[in-house]
Amino acid sequence: MGQLANIHGIGGWAFLRGTKGTPTSKARCDDFRPRESRTADPIEYGVRHQKLHVRFDTRRAPFVRQEWPAPCAVPPRRFCEWSRIILCPLVVVFMAVSGCNPAAPSSDGFEPINETQVVFWDRQTTETAKLLEKITAEFNASNDGMAVAIETTGNYGEIYRKVMASIQARRLPAMAVSYESMTAQYAASGAVVGLDALVADPERGISSADLEDFFPAVLGSNYYADYDGQLLSFPFSKSVLMLYANHRVLKEAGIDGPPKTWDEFLEQCRSIKAKTGKFAYAISVDCSTISGMIFSMGGELIVDGQFQYDQPAAIQAFTLLETLINEDLAYQIQARTYDDEVAFARDDVAFTTRTSAGSANMALAMGGKNDSWSLNPIPQSDPAHPATILFGPNITLFTTGAAQEQVAWDFVRHFTSTPVMTEWVLATGYLPIRKSVANDGRIQAYWAAWPSNRAPYDCLETARTEPNLLRWQEIRSSVERAESAVLAKLKTGKEAALELQQEAQGLLDRTK
Amino acid sequence: MKRSLSYIALTVFAGIMVYPFVWMAGTAFKTLPESMGGDLNPFPATWQWGNIATTLAEAPFGQYFFNSILVSTIVGLSVVITSLMAGYAFGRLRFRGQGLLFGLVLATMMVPFEITFIPNFVLITRFGWYNSYAALIVPWCANAFGVFLVRQAFLSLPNAYYDAAVMDGCGHLRFLRHIGASMVKPTLVTVFLFAFLGSYNALLWPLVVTSDPSLRVVQVGLASFLMDSGVRLNLLMCASSFVIVPSMVLFLFTQRYFEESALSSGLKE
Amino acid sequence: MSRQLTPGYGVDRVLSWLDDRLSGGREVHGGGWRVTTFLLSPAVLLLGLFGVFPIVATLVLSLYDLRYGEGTFSGLANYREAIHSPAFWNSVKVTVYYLVGVVPVSIVLGFVIAWGLMNITRGRALFRTLYFLPYITSAYAAALVWRALLNPQGGLLNALLAVFHLPAQQWLLEPRGVLHVISGGYVAADVGPSLALCCVVAFDIWHGLGFVVVILLAGLSSIPRELEDAARIDGAGVLQVIRHVTLPLLTPTLYFLLLVGTIKGFQAFNSFYALTQSGGNTLGTTENLVIYLFANFYDNGRWGYGAAIATLLLVAIVGLALVQARFARRWVHYG
Repeated sequence: MGQLANIHGIGGWAFLRGTKGTPTSKARCDDFRPRESRTADPIEYGVRHQKLHVRFDTRRAPFVRQEWPAPCAVPPRRFCEWSRIILCPLVVVFMAVSGCNPAAPSSDGFEPINETQVVFWDRQTTETAKLLEKITAEFNASNDGMAVAIETTGNYGEIYRKVMASIQARRLPAMAVSYESMTAQYAASGAVVGLDALVADPERGISSADLEDFFPAVLGSNYYADYDGQLLSFPFSKSVLMLYANHRVLKEAGIDGPPKTWDEFLEQCRSIKAKTGKFAYAISVDCSTISGMIFSMGGELIVDGQFQYDQPAAIQAFTLLETLINEDLAYQIQARTYDDEVAFARDDVAFTTRTSAGSANMALAMGGKNDSWSLNPIPQSDPAHPATILFGPNITLFTTGAAQEQVAWDFVRHFTSTPVMTEWVLATGYLPIRKSVANDGRIQAYWAAWPSNRAPYDCLETARTEPNLLRWQEIRSSVERAESAVLAKLKTGKEAALELQQEAQGLLDRTK
Repeated sequence: MKRSLSYIALTVFAGIMVYPFVWMAGTAFKTLPESMGGDLNPFPATWQWGNIATTLAEAPFGQYFFNSILVSTIVGLSVVITSLMAGYAFGRLRFRGQGLLFGLVLATMMVPFEITFIPNFVLITRFGWYNSYAALIVPWCANAFGVFLVRQAFLSLPNAYYDAAVMDGCGHLRFLRHIGASMVKPTLVTVFLFAFLGSYNALLWPLVVTSDPSLRVVQVGLASFLMDSGVRLNLLMCASSFVIVPSMVLFLFTQRYFEESALSSGLKE
Repeated sequence: MSRQLTPGYGVDRVLSWLDDRLSGGREVHGGGWRVTTFLLSPAVLLLGLFGVFPIVATLVLSLYDLRYGEGTFSGLANYREAIHSPAFWNSVKVTVYYLVGVVPVSIVLGFVIAWGLMNITRGRALFRTLYFLPYITSAYAAALVWRALLNPQGGLLNALLAVFHLPAQQWLLEPRGVLHVISGGYVAADVGPSLALCCVVAFDIWHGLGFVVVILLAGLSSIPRELEDAARIDGAGVLQVIRHVTLPLLTPTLYFLLLVGTIKGFQAFNSFYALTQSGGNTLGTTENLVIYLFANFYDNGRWGYGAAIATLLLVAIVGLALVQARFARRWVHYG
């Protein structure tokens, strides 16, 4: 932790110390001055005056123009007279705000944004937000310290920007939902609480038996290699990449069930195209989906600081996309839309790949007809050793002082405890993040009701996460660019993969 | 003949302009699957009037509307006052450094909000205004566009009135209140309209500087329908439809002035 | 008039008291420094704090290599990197294409509509309101509708193309140049603005047209009818009247629209963001300067670099505004 705090070094805004915002009085900006003050030609003046006269006469009868003012009738006062009045307070405010800031705490730690409540910035809306409120109320009733307050703070991008701004203002909530790349950015400012000590606490920690109850994949991505492998966030709502299959379309093409391998997937796509003329698959450009494909093809994303996009699995993934698009087996949907869901529900496509958390929405779109579609593990190269990708945010705690941090941590423990998690999983469709939740009778009954309810959970053991590097966000954009180039038929799969390798490795090496 | 051609062309154009709006209002009364279908027919198969109740139940929209209208109105009025004063000084008075200062004022119009928002957020929290009406209002109480418009308006007005007023022993401030303001009234209405719209339509700033639901505004309320892994499109469109009602009403009442003022804004350099 | 000016009560009393305090001698057109300061203070203080201060902060930040108060002073390194970055120049190119597309077209289109509106007698207020509607519709809702229209699968535009037996297009997903698409591959794919960028341009023309129409309508209605009538009596045709009477008298309004359009065009963000997911899907062909600085500033956490881009953007806007002001003297007729 000490290391994290050191990175921060100087206090926020200290760079402005000594900067005087006074513009020089010599500079002039004639172009913004009224024209007549530069005009000396009386004849031109007269002409202009006459035209204006007409206009005003027609529009506003009572305004009778008498004469245009002589330009600059009065010699201007000296600059410094008014500048003293206007700019001096301004400079004072600049200095007060930027430089000397007695209220700010010393370099370690941040102030809580709310002194009396433990604030949690969250992203949930609709029914899940109400459930979270209820869980929080229960926690507050059983806890005699400060109360936890949920504040809905927009989408992940908005939460990220608000936290970043708050880091600069040095006033933070006690906790916020975040993806790994966000946490890594926050930690660079020394704003994140290392959870290892809290977990290890004999009274209010998590016993090692309990810790083992969490699925390794779920917990694993919260240890950050960029920060000496510290635990900087805690899992929360998790989901995996799944293959959604529309059985009505499959039946139309005479196919019995969804594919198990990627070869089978391609084959089915071809026969769907041949027999029904429909597209088989709707592609949403997304880095995580590509990562999941690479994992399922037996590949890795990064090994010992070397990206693996030039390895066979990645090339195979991009080549598959190339084949799908070249043979008109698939089409690309518009960014950030749910067009694939729509097409799926209208029987326009047979497959789409999405997070398992989207299954509730898909059920709505399918009108509750569960026999006509299913959730399946994504195809694999080697079904004996399957792999997929894990999605979903974590909770990050901020350094807002021991009192707030302790309550926040107690809340995290409460929220991830078996009974509460069970309730959460049942209501939201997120995955159980610990084994004991999976054993709950209600969860078992929910799974028994429909095989697709259970399918995501079966993938959890083999789910893996993207690297939680500081630069990962940047690399994500590169991956999506490479994918778009293939889908636009501007590059072959292999070209795209090899170029991506260069670009990603370059980005990573530059930051070292 | 020529006139009816004009009408036909204008109506076709108007159709293009209005269609998305009709689509929005129509989608508001569709079922969720129907709304997600990307159907170009804006009208629902059966009108789901219940969507209105569902939408209103999702967030305290009454409170949000109150906040939005309160904040936007105060911002609008403040912008009118600050722009009137500064615009008068820039357009009517002469002082050394005027060009430079006016250039600085205009420069504030030219920096994208995406960059200014972090320094401004830091200021707000330093002042202790986080989570208060002040944070929603004060930073937007002056804008360069307003100053610019009012200055243009004053530049285009005759000086005779001012001279007459001075004869009567009237100072700048009383002149401004009794004569100046009414002479540039259309411009002031325009300034009010745009300041109001700007404040009313802002999303990111209100979201970032407030957290208390009792301080939230309607645009933030719209985010209630964007979920982690989906969107309640029909309800979102329903909320969007009634969110623009105040803007529309304001435009209907001010458009007469709006037209007059643009007249003077273009008059002068 | 004089009744109004006698010292009254309430506000008037305060104002006249202030007037007395602030008056620095009787001056006709220039105020004393006291009253000037008083009038300027509210706007200047607010704009100084919430407008100029962020500019200064951005300038300073652009000289650092990470964030506010973090990282080390790196001089002009961020600027150097920007100038040598192809992605930066690409975003400049996109911004220029966008400006060249949006500003003139919306002014011309706005003029045609406003001219049409001037020539009808009934329903002008109604049409004016209809044309203004997109301007007050939320960009998010409007973008949703446009994405439905431009959807390559089942969108209205591809349905229209099919009627004329033309090939379907990818619209917002198409990174190829629009010339390439129109010429059927004769022009290279990376020449000129991409089709996706053209869709964004079309969207913004649509979204901002109401503003342009209303301003032009106002400009047109302020032109004395007698002048046009006189020209017509002299035997001038419609086009000649427009060319020699209407347009010259409209130049101040056109200049105003040009200036405001340029400033707004440089800052365009929402439409790009809402329509194309920050340009990632179109291989950077819809990544304008603001999107580029946004991606660096927030997504990549490179604040210093983002601030350097913002500074360059500011310089570009101010520079262009000054150039326009200079050229305006040649073509804008005042009075």
